[in-house]
This record gives sequence, structure tokens and C-alpha cells, in this order.
Amino acid sequence: MKGVRAGSRSPIFCGARRMEQSNRFWRTVLLAAPVAVFTVFVIWPLLSSFHYSFTNWNGFNREFDYVGFSNYAKIVTDKLFLNAAINTVIWMVAAILLPTLLGLGLALLIDSRVPGGTMFKSIFYLPICLSAVVVGQIWVWIYQPDWGLLNTVIGLVSGEEFRYPWLAKPDTALGSVIIAWAWQQTGLSMVIYLAGLTSIPEDLIEVCEIEGATAWQRIRMLIIPLLTPATVVVIALSVINSLKGFDILYIMTGGGPFHSSDTLAMHMYNESFKKYLMGYGSAISVVLFLIALTIIRIYFRQLRRVDEIYG
Amino acid sequence: MVDAAAIDRPLRDFNPWPAVIVVCLVCLAVLFLAPTLGVLLSSVKTTRDIAFGELWTIPDTLFLGNFGEVIANPAVHRYILNTILVTVPATAASIALGVFAGYVFSKLPFRGSDVLFLILVSGMFFPPQVILIPLFRLFNTMGLIDTLWPIIIVHTALGIPICTLLMRNFFATVPNALREAAILEGANEWQVLMRVALPLSLPAIAVLATLQFTWIWNDFLWPLIFTNSDEKRTIMIGIVNLKGQYSVAWGVQGALSLIASIPTLIVFLFFQRYFIKGMTMGAVKG
Repeated sequence: MKGVRAGSRSPIFCGARRMEQSNRFWRTVLLAAPVAVFTVFVIWPLLSSFHYSFTNWNGFNREFDYVGFSNYAKIVTDKLFLNAAINTVIWMVAAILLPTLLGLGLALLIDSRVPGGTMFKSIFYLPICLSAVVVGQIWVWIYQPDWGLLNTVIGLVSGEEFRYPWLAKPDTALGSVIIAWAWQQTGLSMVIYLAGLTSIPEDLIEVCEIEGATAWQRIRMLIIPLLTPATVVVIALSVINSLKGFDILYIMTGGGPFHSSDTLAMHMYNESFKKYLMGYGSAISVVLFLIALTIIRIYFRQLRRVDEIYG
Repeated sequence: MVDAAAIDRPLRDFNPWPAVIVVCLVCLAVLFLAPTLGVLLSSVKTTRDIAFGELWTIPDTLFLGNFGEVIANPAVHRYILNTILVTVPATAASIALGVFAGYVFSKLPFRGSDVLFLILVSGMFFPPQVILIPLFRLFNTMGLIDTLWPIIIVHTALGIPICTLLMRNFFATVPNALREAAILEGANEWQVLMRVALPLSLPAIAVLATLQFTWIWNDFLWPLIFTNSDEKRTIMIGIVNLKGQYSVAWGVQGALSLIASIPTLIVFLFFQRYFIKGMTMGAVKG
């Protein structure tokens, strides 16, 4: 190394200062495009939403007036908003429970080293690669009153003709869409749980077996607690995805019948792009943003706690 | 009881559980496959058969007329072409930007880079409806509504969080010594990124390519908002539009859905490993 020093031009000799200069240059060059694109097309629109929520912009005219908090006042009295908020909560609770429990069950079954595990994994995961449009289409046919799979099966079991229009009745529309949604999301929870299961040491499970724990005890008292980090991820993903849930509702019910399957995302779309109340739509999107922000903050706090416990 | 079980160890060889589990899994697999199978079946049946309740049975003969009708429809060609024109550039651009940002965050960190990284990544969590209206107005003033540009741009921007996150995590596994050695050899940062770090990161790029391709191809919301003429629609909007045209032509709808899903199905079948890795990596680290 001493020999290098004699050659005064070597990069080492040029010192940390030039190195730091070069680093700063490349940082700027490399970050410029991503930061610029993200700022202009994500952060700026996000802040603008707050701005437009205080206006009465109609989507066509260049001009608009400032209307103060009246859009927010409207939210408080809007029965359809309340209805959409309640549906969003129902949607979220179901979107957490169904894919999480099903995904956990499937992961435990597949992880028990049965033959064909990889094939089963692929089958349960397949719906993830289908688009909401295609999934919606498939499930519309399952619920189809005249020849849909569900009514056909019920008809076969009960022995008499069954023609219930699942998606056209306010009582069952939302639930029917939730099932379709859960069908698609379960695979995602399953793979996350499978990834979590591989991190549980085999000998821990073997010790339990030797100590005489039954399979159920093993799952309940060892595996599920050890899967807590995976569960946190699965639940957070379910919540985030369910807040975004729009496409499949748009395809299957369009929020109907009689707004019985409206969610906040759907309501926001209808008010902005059907009724052209862009100001009011912006106010709804601000509320949606605040809800997402709250949930994400809770999630990160929980994540840190999990990290502390499980390292 | 416990003692008896311990003595009777050999009995464990007759463990019935694997068989029970396989039976359970097979039943669930059939339940899970049934919806997808429905689309497959509908595409090879005449609409008349479907209307008579024949959708859910295995057909004796394959009816290929639905595919013929879809393939002969010029609107479908345009939808597919538009989708390719959106998906390919947006996938490439979002990955490129993610590579640049991820490289800086992992190899050239600076004061405040953690905060900037968090801000970029947090974009992953928010419902897209939050930025819908301002983007609509922005592209409207730019005169870009009803072109493919807004869709490409927005997908690129919204891809930055996941691409940056995965690339940063992957670059972190590339040893710093490699970069230092290359710089001592006289390479500049760009050369290190392109010739050292990037060739090592092909698995991460494959993960991102499969994820982004699938999401953008399948997207429905952005083309719905930013385009309105039939000329500029993508395939997912096309399926919904053609529903009106073929109002009760279920067989044709099935064939169309299948054709629209083929690219993502191919990606899924061949790159499933990457796809699952991306979902879990992005999720677990998120």
C-alpha cells in the first residue's frame, strides 16, 4: 500500500473531498428523475386534493370558487357518505378476517409437507394474477340467477329450482362481492404465511412433538404466536388493499343496488366523475387519505412493537 | 395415555393425517379453481348452451367460434395494442427510476436520505382515489386526456415506491467492497451501477418486471379516468365496453376475458417464483 502513495494521482490519494464531491454529483443525477416524477405526479396532486376540497370545481371549467368548509359540512350530512363509510367498515372487517383465516389455514395445510404442495400453492395463488375485471366477470356468472354456479348447486342440493339474484338484492350484494374479493386475496395471505412458516425452526416443533403436544396445541400455542410478524403484514395489506377496493365493485355492482354496496372509494368516484362535483369528491378523498394515514401509522407502530418482541 | 402412545411408536407409521390433509386440500383446490374453470368452459361453449344452464358441465365438443369472433374484432386488436403500449414503457420506466433511487439509498446514503426514502415508499399505501382529481385536472390542462400518456406517466410514478424499496433492499446485499474496488480501478458511479450492481441484481429486476407488468396490464381505474374514446381504451376497459355490444353473448365474453388474461397467466406460470418473492418481499419489508 505504501507504494501506491508514491503515485500521487491514485484515487486514494485524491482524498475524501473529491470522493464526496463525486458522490454528491451522482446522488443528484440519479435521484433527480425519480424524485421529480414522484413529486409532480404523486405528492403535488395529494396536496392539491386538499386545495380542491375547498372549491366547487365542476371538472370542465377552468375557473372555480372557494366555498370554505361547505364540502366538509356536506360530508357530515350526506346520508350516502355515511352509508358508504359503514359499507367500507364492513368491507374492511370482512377483508381482514376472510383472507387472513383462510390463508393461514391453507398455509398450515400446505406446510405439513403433503405431496403436491407446490401445485396446491399455485392453484390457491392463481387468482392473484387475474385482473379485477376478469374476477368480477367470473363471479357475476357464479351469482347469475338463471344458470349461475351458486344457484345451480343450491338447486341440486335442495332438489328444487333456485333463482336468487344475489347481486341485484340490497341484502346480499355487498356480501357477494366481498366473497369474490376474498377469493382473490386469500392466495396473497397464504404465501406470506408460508414465508413466515419457513422461518420457524424445525427442532422447536420437534421438541413440542416429543413433549407430547397435539397438533392443535402445537398450532395454537407455538406456531400462531410465532407467526405474529406475518399476521401483522397480512392484516396491514388487507386493510390497505380493502381501502383501495374499487375495480371489482365497479364491475360487479357499480355500488348498487340502491347504493347498498357503495364504499368510500366508489362514492368518491360517483360524486366526482358521474355528478361532476369535483370539489366535494376532493373532500371525500381527503377523508379517505386521513383514514389511510391513521391506519398506516397504527400499522407502523405495531410493526415496531413486533420487531422489539421478535427481533 | 401419553405413556401408551410413547410405547406404541410404530403405530405412528399408520398416521392418517397426511391423507386427510390431501383430501381437504383437493376439495379446497376444486372450490378455488371452479371460478377460473367457469371462464375456460364458457369460452368453448355457445351462448345458447350457457343460457340453458350448461356452463358448468364438461363439454363433449369444443366450440371455438367465440375465439374466432373475438380475434376477428378490430376493436380488440386496438385494445390489446394500447395495453401493450402502456404496460411496456411504464414497467420499464418505473423499474429504471426505482433502480436509480434504490442505488442512491443503499450505496450513497446522505443526511436525510432515510426520510426521503420513507416518503417515497409511503406512496405505496395510499388509495389512488386520493390523487385522482388533481391528476385529472393536470392532464386536462396539458391536453393529454384521451391519450395513453397519462396512464403511462401515472403508472411510472406509482411504481416508484415498490421499485425503490425492492431495489434498495437488493442493492444492500451487493458487497460495498465490489463498488470500492471498481472505483479504485477508475470506474465512475454510473459504470459501477450499470456494470457491477445491475448485472448482480437481475433477480430483483425480474421480480419487479413480473409485478409491475401484471399490475399495469390488469389496471382498470386509470384508463377509466383518463381515456374516453374507444380508440384509446385498454383491454380491461374493452371487456367492460364490449359487454354492452355482446350483452348476452356470454361465450364471447368468456373468450375475451381469457385472451385478456393470457399475458399475465404466462407471466404467472413462468415467473411464479419471482412473483411470489416480490409479493412477500414487498409486503414483509413494507
